[in-house]
Amino acid sequence: MSASKFIRPVVVACTALLLVSVTLAAPLKVAVIEALSGPQASTGLSYRNATRYAIDRLNTAGGWNGEKIDLIEYDNQGGPTGAADKLKAAIADGAQFIVSGSSSAVGGQLTDDIRKYNIRNPGKEVVLLNLGAEANELTGEKCHFHNFRFSSNAQIRIKALVGAMKKDGVIGTRVYSINQNYSWGQDTENAIVEYASVGGYKVVEKTLHDVNKIQDFSPYVSKIVAANVDTVITGNWSNDLLLLMKATKASGLKARFGTTFLDQPGNLANAGDAATGHYIAHLFNAEAGGKEGEQFAEDYKAKTGRYPAFIEGQAVQGMLMFGEALKSVKAQSNNLNVNAWALALENTKFKTPMGELRMRAADHQALVPVVVSVVSNDAKYKVDGTALGFKPIMVLTGEQAATPVPAACKMQRPTQTP
Amino acid sequence: MEYFIISLLNGAIYGLLLFMVSAGLTLIFGMMGVLNFSHASFYMLGAYFAYTLSPLIGFGMAMIGASLLVGSVGVMVERFFLRRVHNYGHAHELLLTFGLSFIIAELVKLFFGNFPIDYRIPVSLDFAAFRIGGADYPFYRLIMGGIAIAMFALIYLLLTLTRVGIVVRSAIYKPRMAEALGHNVPLVFMGVFGVGAALAGLAGAVAGAFYTTNPNMALELGVMVFVVVVVGGLGSLGGAMIASLLIGIITSICVGIDKSLADLFSLLGIGDWAQDIGGLLTLKLSSLASTIPFALMLLVLLVRPSGLMGEKEHL
Repeated sequence: MSASKFIRPVVVACTALLLVSVTLAAPLKVAVIEALSGPQASTGLSYRNATRYAIDRLNTAGGWNGEKIDLIEYDNQGGPTGAADKLKAAIADGAQFIVSGSSSAVGGQLTDDIRKYNIRNPGKEVVLLNLGAEANELTGEKCHFHNFRFSSNAQIRIKALVGAMKKDGVIGTRVYSINQNYSWGQDTENAIVEYASVGGYKVVEKTLHDVNKIQDFSPYVSKIVAANVDTVITGNWSNDLLLLMKATKASGLKARFGTTFLDQPGNLANAGDAATGHYIAHLFNAEAGGKEGEQFAEDYKAKTGRYPAFIEGQAVQGMLMFGEALKSVKAQSNNLNVNAWALALENTKFKTPMGELRMRAADHQALVPVVVSVVSNDAKYKVDGTALGFKPIMVLTGEQAATPVPAACKMQRPTQTP
Repeated sequence: MEYFIISLLNGAIYGLLLFMVSAGLTLIFGMMGVLNFSHASFYMLGAYFAYTLSPLIGFGMAMIGASLLVGSVGVMVERFFLRRVHNYGHAHELLLTFGLSFIIAELVKLFFGNFPIDYRIPVSLDFAAFRIGGADYPFYRLIMGGIAIAMFALIYLLLTLTRVGIVVRSAIYKPRMAEALGHNVPLVFMGVFGVGAALAGLAGAVAGAFYTTNPNMALELGVMVFVVVVVGGLGSLGGAMIASLLIGIITSICVGIDKSLADLFSLLGIGDWAQDIGGLLTLKLSSLASTIPFALMLLVLLVRPSGLMGEKEHL
């Protein structure tokens, strides 16, 4: 068989496919690149579920350009290497929006790769919707026009946390900072030091430890005990927070904790009553949202089987805001111009149960409302089957919670208006 | 000084826990030459079984029940899986147990979900043994240490003093000869594998309540257990004990040392220069605490490849 005999039908088929795809525009594709297996899967699946819920809601409301938005899932297996591979696959599959959130390491890889891809492929830009990777650099040194962060960052969380704890008069004068040794943890540590004068405390000791490798936190707790502090502030999440809580409980340590991710499922169950009085700065608390918050929580439970917890609330709101901006963008020859969407997003004021969500044009860091809650028996929504829940004590608007645009962000905006 | 004592105690007890898990692994390797990658999964299974059983039959009984259950899982694995591939050599056994660890992890996720479960020590055991350095020292930690020491003594006596121990050791040393003398060698192997798994199960049941019980616990502890076995010498129970204690105590003490190489250099008067260089030189020892066991493993492999108490390799 000659080569041409084999190749010709393939060429014909390809051309035919190409023609079809030009005339029948493919639906808008959104790719979620998350840790769907492996150790980080619990976090990755939370982001996946939230994104799925939001896209379903957008599709029920009509999707975009008369078609349903297509959500494709990719498993990055928890690391930047996997994410880089899956990003290539997602772009090849025609995704224009990439959704991710569970890791700042993955977020850093994705945003870099997308920046480079967009430089090399003008007119075919891809956008990163960062729902929860909170290292500062992602909207600082690494910021670029096609990277949008819908969640907060280390500074925003610590600022809100310290402010509320100071106002309640519980922060004391001696603070211990314990964090994970990577971008997010280091940023949190810096923020804790930065807001020391605001909170009127002294950072007695700072600890950075390995990420999700430590089984026994009791040596760290005895270090905290030895430092004799009033408050421990930590950005820890996942196992590192859970084990820290357990070790604290076992030692009978009386210090109060200021946290950022205590609402991750399992934490309160394991920490038990020892967690009462601990603070958390988070981005969603159904109780703080009043009637709308309740409505959303019930709807989320009806669709997914449980109340939104951990990052799910913020992730859903971020994705719904993405949909809100889509509404005002018209298709250009049946395709979406992502730059037009990006400009629309910058002008979108999206109402969430927590307040108004906006995207700051200068660094594409969302102005996101922050809720500070305290672990208490009085909370409306109990978690983990315990009698405890998160009682909101303060809601900051996006503007109040915001921190200045980082000087390191030098954003190149597209020159042509779409 | 008080801080040092607490660190020592914390480290020793964490080391004893490591020993509980690695005892089974080193036993199985020593006797059967099987490097069991799914060993830490047995540890995880122990925790989940105990969690399921404890509301039904009480905490204490659940410990025993979970170890027995995990032991029987181990027996099944040996009887129906490992025995089939044993003749094809170590690579096959390795791959088999490796695959098994994934299957167990996925099954656990299927039945118990992705998030940590609410497995806690019972209220009756949840009190402080004594107060030291301004903090309570939990009684349960002492129980964990006690169980590990009792386990070590029991296995050691069993192997050295009893008739069963003699049969087991002879089956390991000269399997053909033992078989010719009328001993059922495959049965011995199955038993050893089952006991090894049961020990890991017991460790999981005990430690899962104190630390966390989640689908990643096998992965988290598994690596450290291999480090223990390599440092202690493959197949040596005493070696595993020493290595576990060494790793536990070193890690625990390093957490409290906020010194870097630059501080060491400043003794020589070149501290400022070292601070300027940064990088590795200014990395604090405390932030490296959980990496130190791996450095120790590297050192042992370089200096004494057969481990602290391992026999010389037969070449």
